Amino acid sequence: MSDQVTPSPGKRRIGVYVCHCGGNISDYVDVDRVIDAVKDEADVVVARDAMFTCSDVTQEEIAKDIREQGLDGLVVASCSPKLHTTTFRGVARRGGLNPYQYTQANIREQCSWAHTDDREGATGKAISLVRAAVARTRLSEPLEPLVVETTGRAVVVGGGVAGMRAAIGLADMGLGVFLVEREAELGGWVGDLPKMFPNGTDGHELARRLQDEIHRRPAINVFTRAEVVEKTGTYGNYQVTVRAGGEQIRLDVGQVIVATGFASYEPEPGEFGYGAPGVVTLADFTRMLDEAGSPLVYHGRPVKTIAYIYCVGSRNETHPYCSRYCCSAAVHASLLVTAADPGVRQYHLYRDMRTYGRHELEYIESRRRGSVYMKFADDEPPLVTSDDGSLRVTVRDLLTGGDQLAIGPDLVVLVTGMVPRDNAELTTALKLPVGLDGFFNEIHPKLRPVETVVDGVSICGACQGPKTVAESVASGLAAAAQAAAVLKRGVAELDPQVTFVHPEACTGCGQCVGACPYSAISLVERGPAKVASIDAAACKGCGGCVPSCPEDAIDLAGYTDAQIRSMIDSLLVGSET
Amino acid sequence: MGYDALVVGSGVAGMESALELGDMGYKVLVVEEGPSIGGKMILLSKVFPTLDCASCISTPKMGATAHHPNVTVVTDAQLSRVARDGDGGFHVRLLRQPRFVDLSACTGCRQCEQACTVSVPDQFNGDMVARRAAYIPFPQAVPLKAVVERAGTSPCTYACPAGVKAHGYVSLVRSGLYEEAFNLVLEATPLAATLGRACYAPCESACTRGSLEGPLPIRRLKRFVADTHYARRQRPPLERPAWNGKRVAVVGSGPAGVTAAWQLAKRGYQVKIFEAAPVAGGAMRLSIPSYRLPSAAVESDLANLVELGVEVATGCKVDDLAQLKRDGFDAVLVSTGTTRSMKLGVPGEDTLAGVSSALDFLRGTKLDQSPDLHGKAVVVIGGGNVAIDAARSARRLGASEVHLVCLEQRAEMPAYGWEVDEAAQEGVVVHDGWGIASFSGPAGGARALGSVQLKRCTSVFDPEGRFSPSYDEEVRSELRCEAAIVAIGMTADTSAFAALAPGGARRLQADRATLRTALPGVFAAGDAVTGPTTIAEAAGHGAKAAHMIDRFLSGLELTAAVEPLPAVDKAEVLGRQRHHSRRDPLPSSLSLDSSPASFAELEAPLSEDEARAAAGRCLDCGVCSECHQCLAACPAGAIDLDMRAKEEELDVGAVIVSTGYKLFPADAKPQYGYGKFPNVITAMQMDRLLAPTRPYNTVLRPSDAKVPERIAYVMCTGSRDQTVGNPLCSKFCCMYSLKQNQLILGALPLADVTVHYIDIRAAGKGYDEFFEQAKAMGTTFLKGRVASITETAGHNLVLRYEDIDNGGGVKEAEYDLVVLAVGVQPNADVANLFGPGELALDAFGYVEELDEDKEPAATSIPGVFVAGSTSGPRDIPESILHAGAAVVQTAAYLEAKPRREVGVGAPPLGGARASGPGRPASEAVA
Repeated sequence: MSDQVTPSPGKRRIGVYVCHCGGNISDYVDVDRVIDAVKDEADVVVARDAMFTCSDVTQEEIAKDIREQGLDGLVVASCSPKLHTTTFRGVARRGGLNPYQYTQANIREQCSWAHTDDREGATGKAISLVRAAVARTRLSEPLEPLVVETTGRAVVVGGGVAGMRAAIGLADMGLGVFLVEREAELGGWVGDLPKMFPNGTDGHELARRLQDEIHRRPAINVFTRAEVVEKTGTYGNYQVTVRAGGEQIRLDVGQVIVATGFASYEPEPGEFGYGAPGVVTLADFTRMLDEAGSPLVYHGRPVKTIAYIYCVGSRNETHPYCSRYCCSAAVHASLLVTAADPGVRQYHLYRDMRTYGRHELEYIESRRRGSVYMKFADDEPPLVTSDDGSLRVTVRDLLTGGDQLAIGPDLVVLVTGMVPRDNAELTTALKLPVGLDGFFNEIHPKLRPVETVVDGVSICGACQGPKTVAESVASGLAAAAQAAAVLKRGVAELDPQVTFVHPEACTGCGQCVGACPYSAISLVERGPAKVASIDAAACKGCGGCVPSCPEDAIDLAGYTDAQIRSMIDSLLVGSET
Repeated sequence: MGYDALVVGSGVAGMESALELGDMGYKVLVVEEGPSIGGKMILLSKVFPTLDCASCISTPKMGATAHHPNVTVVTDAQLSRVARDGDGGFHVRLLRQPRFVDLSACTGCRQCEQACTVSVPDQFNGDMVARRAAYIPFPQAVPLKAVVERAGTSPCTYACPAGVKAHGYVSLVRSGLYEEAFNLVLEATPLAATLGRACYAPCESACTRGSLEGPLPIRRLKRFVADTHYARRQRPPLERPAWNGKRVAVVGSGPAGVTAAWQLAKRGYQVKIFEAAPVAGGAMRLSIPSYRLPSAAVESDLANLVELGVEVATGCKVDDLAQLKRDGFDAVLVSTGTTRSMKLGVPGEDTLAGVSSALDFLRGTKLDQSPDLHGKAVVVIGGGNVAIDAARSARRLGASEVHLVCLEQRAEMPAYGWEVDEAAQEGVVVHDGWGIASFSGPAGGARALGSVQLKRCTSVFDPEGRFSPSYDEEVRSELRCEAAIVAIGMTADTSAFAALAPGGARRLQADRATLRTALPGVFAAGDAVTGPTTIAEAAGHGAKAAHMIDRFLSGLELTAAVEPLPAVDKAEVLGRQRHHSRRDPLPSSLSLDSSPASFAELEAPLSEDEARAAAGRCLDCGVCSECHQCLAACPAGAIDLDMRAKEEELDVGAVIVSTGYKLFPADAKPQYGYGKFPNVITAMQMDRLLAPTRPYNTVLRPSDAKVPERIAYVMCTGSRDQTVGNPLCSKFCCMYSLKQNQLILGALPLADVTVHYIDIRAAGKGYDEFFEQAKAMGTTFLKGRVASITETAGHNLVLRYEDIDNGGGVKEAEYDLVVLAVGVQPNADVANLFGPGELALDAFGYVEELDEDKEPAATSIPGVFVAGSTSGPRDIPESILHAGAAVVQTAAYLEAKPRREVGVGAPPLGGARASGPGRPASEAVA
């Protein structure tokens, strides 16, 4: 570790670009002042502003400046690096600058958005951050990504419709697939369902067709009664251990797709009368419909009146989310009832009917066929009582001007939603991020809905959040596309911002080995002594080992101690002025 | 040229599809109809439920799409046909629409935008503010390059035979750029003041405003421009181009000759005009009376030629074309006009003093050698413009009576009706339907004229429409007179150019397309070739001759100049706006005297205010006015208004259709008053008001730019509504409204926001939580449909609605601003890409997915897949997921057939084919 590295002003040629973000920044940060403050900094040869630095034309301008002004360092002061690091690394590359000699200063999330009440303060902070970015860039060195060959296979965890369809998609794109299913058979929830909304597809049938297709594809290897217990390895080359039939099998794969589905909400005893005879969940009811003949019979008694209570286990304190599919599923079930026996009276007690998109057609159809809908207020749920085996539901119906109505149904269907499955072991094995709602979390809900923050692991189907069949299948394919986009190239580039050891300073104490969460560090022989050695492909660049080293013998490329120190120095100078 | 996959449409689903296929190594072509990629998402403020800035998360996708090495993006293009090639792939015809800007040269500097003189509603800002006809679509556009919007040629410009950009100078006058307007006219012809007075103005007949209150005074605007220029004391001298070493002789200085000379001189030729008459200008100077066209106006125009270095030799009759070639002229243009009068051929015409030809009479008048008609009775014979000119001139020379005798019935007269009317107002007596039998001297047989004998003309034309008068010789009449002027037609004097008029033809013979004559290097143009026309037509012919001579002398094939774009359909222009405010045309400035005594110009000039107001009535039919300011402003020379559509043919392996959806047109729900009440806006407009690139920098209501305090949302506008034929739920309107509610409450903390809804459909990950957040921030939700919206005098809006949550019943409430949460409609154009009926649509017009639950994105055509809202409303994440499905389907389709040869780059990097057929699982595991 070279303590003595000091910035050598006058030797570098750095370009600084400050973004208005169309007002997102410039409404609260005086961009002109930021430029004035840094344009005469040592080594800064270009300092400009732009309405949207990420816009194509500014990107091209920057690339042109790099070429024409011979820039060897680039600073963009704009938004969070999470958004645009890749963008501007690409700009650097197009201009002929090493992408790792680029630094992004976040003056939006950290300045303009955080200090909307203090333009002066926000501007001063922005100036400091830009100076610090210049300081870091001044000491930047070109880094080259590590290129690794990837394994052209993926493992799909979960054999429901999303997982099955993802596996078929991967195989059809020329990739090998391991499909791992916890149960004895593929098929998941859908395999137990009769005709489903909105296309009338038969669930048993769909699951069977998908299984047939899987069996026809030799590229897909299926493991049933199997669970994933461990994942190790590096980007594009993972070892996933599967426990199947008492054996542990190691699979070499390039990508992991998780499609473990959902669990159906099980109401608490007494919740809307649950537990009393005649009070069933939507899942039970759907199975009844599948098995029952016509007319519908419950416990030997014909069912003439049904009350559906919506949002059971959804949109409440314990489950604040909407389960998305249940409105449409319940409406669909009621249509199946009507088809079997048009004489059944059906009452739907709901909060908001969320038969979105085309599902609306079934809602219209159910009303046309006689279903009666009653809206209850969020704070006035219906009351279900059971007296001598006869059920009674009372509700204040807003649609009839708030009348208190009572129904004596033969069956109460609790329209239950989806809840996250208990996936503790898998979650730990894959280090999967879990959201507040208990479902797995994607990296960005808008634009990257199947990727996760864990390299090489994507999620699809209802394990990410409640979905219909078509939505699950589409997301399964989307995850397959994501995996194939990585694997079909055959090689992957790894971030070179990883740690490295200064072997002459290392005493082989082994502190770092224990500090590494990725098992990337080992001790190797170096002459008579042992020194730490870091597997660059396994290192994630978290920097956890750097402070653990008592000899300062480890540095993180791109964030060397010298760089960090110079950033701190410049921040301190900045705050003094 | 070929690609593995074609992606039609570049919204979020299209971009995602292209990027993933590109990442896999496939070569992808993205075709976008508009000027930028990015679809609707890039126009949004923020996105739900994360409240990410839409620009900030879209631009990386747009940039990545534009820069991906395997993705080629083509904007401004449509597919005119996609047909199966019999080999699993598709044969595609791509129609590249002209952007009128060279994308490789444009730097997006916006100078054209600043120079442009036409403003139109900015479609990228919900039509709430104006943009220019030359414009950068929006600040984050990719490519960030200019577009010139041209709907076609404006009808006025299209109608101009002289090729003057009429719409262009009108637009320049509107902007106060008079000198620029003058220069624009001079791009076509130097005759600005002349045409500003004596043109018959076909532009005005074509003017779309003519079908409203009346056309713009386009001709008088040109006169205003010319007069303004000539009245300037200090004028910048015209720039003389460098001599290109070649010389051209022009014989005749009428409108054709001077326009040709002008165009050639501008191109660097040394030009000399030979004029037989003592003054230059041809008919403009020698036959059109001064009350219509003062000589000074013509002379001002001709001075432009001299300034540009054209030599004009008057009194110099050419009768030996070969001598001109010997004198060193590389080419010659003969444009001698029609200088020979036609004769009646009746007794007395040639023998009696007092009978003259109109051309001689008018020429004498213009040269101050007029005969003394004071107190005399004059008969003018003929029904055309020249006859009218002669008759009205005769009145001005003091004739006590002027009789105009013509074969035609009044309605058939070749002269314009208004000319005949004006002549009548000046005391000219019209005798229509009479032919001339003879001229006679007074009783006593003197050699002077005493009367004209008339015979009834029964018809002028034969059944084929040819001129063939027939008479009833029995019906006779007589007019006593001391002078007669014959104005029955003119022909070219071909006597000096026998080689150009073989067999004594009455016109010079030149090839219609190239204007070449039988003599090498000699061209002919103008009325001498075409017969009598108008100044503007002759000028246009002269310009064409100049173009041909230039090509001839440059050794190029004699092909025509680029045709103008087709004229814009007037109905289309009028349909752009729901209503047009009435703007009355200027009253006529003519004051006619029943006994006119002076040749002073009749028509008063326009004042500057009148000119500006008149030009302000222009409807900008063609959108771009061709004022050419952008051409002058562009530092890169990137603008090319002559660009035309081009077709390309390509082969692709598979197609992804991602053409998205259309928003429900809110005016199709008239009870909500959109388009009628200024403060009823759509949610897309509200998104623009909230966006970082927002037009007003805050939320203002349109009628008075007040910050609204009470804002209502009307949900399900055009969705879940059988009355507009759409029973479907549009899926994302609830969510975007909840987003806007929160953004409004952030921007306007004092505002009250009320949402009138049927059901709040916040179904999706984090969506219901987002709904709760909107409630917590203070949005009021009222269940019940809005029946109607009415407007108060102060442009507030009264909503009549059902209030279900509060006991039911119909209520009314007043708001400052109403936002219509408009739903989604299918983009019906999609099916036209394929053969009739090939691409199956569902009952609502969305592209049908035949097996959505198992094969999402697959359509009725193998190899054609659909992504995003093209097959039904989808929000952004759903569109991304659906695009992923389309990508897998496409990749699987491409893998299943033998690799096609693609014209660009290498085939995709091979993915490792893992465990091959028949390989047991145990072998595949390590």
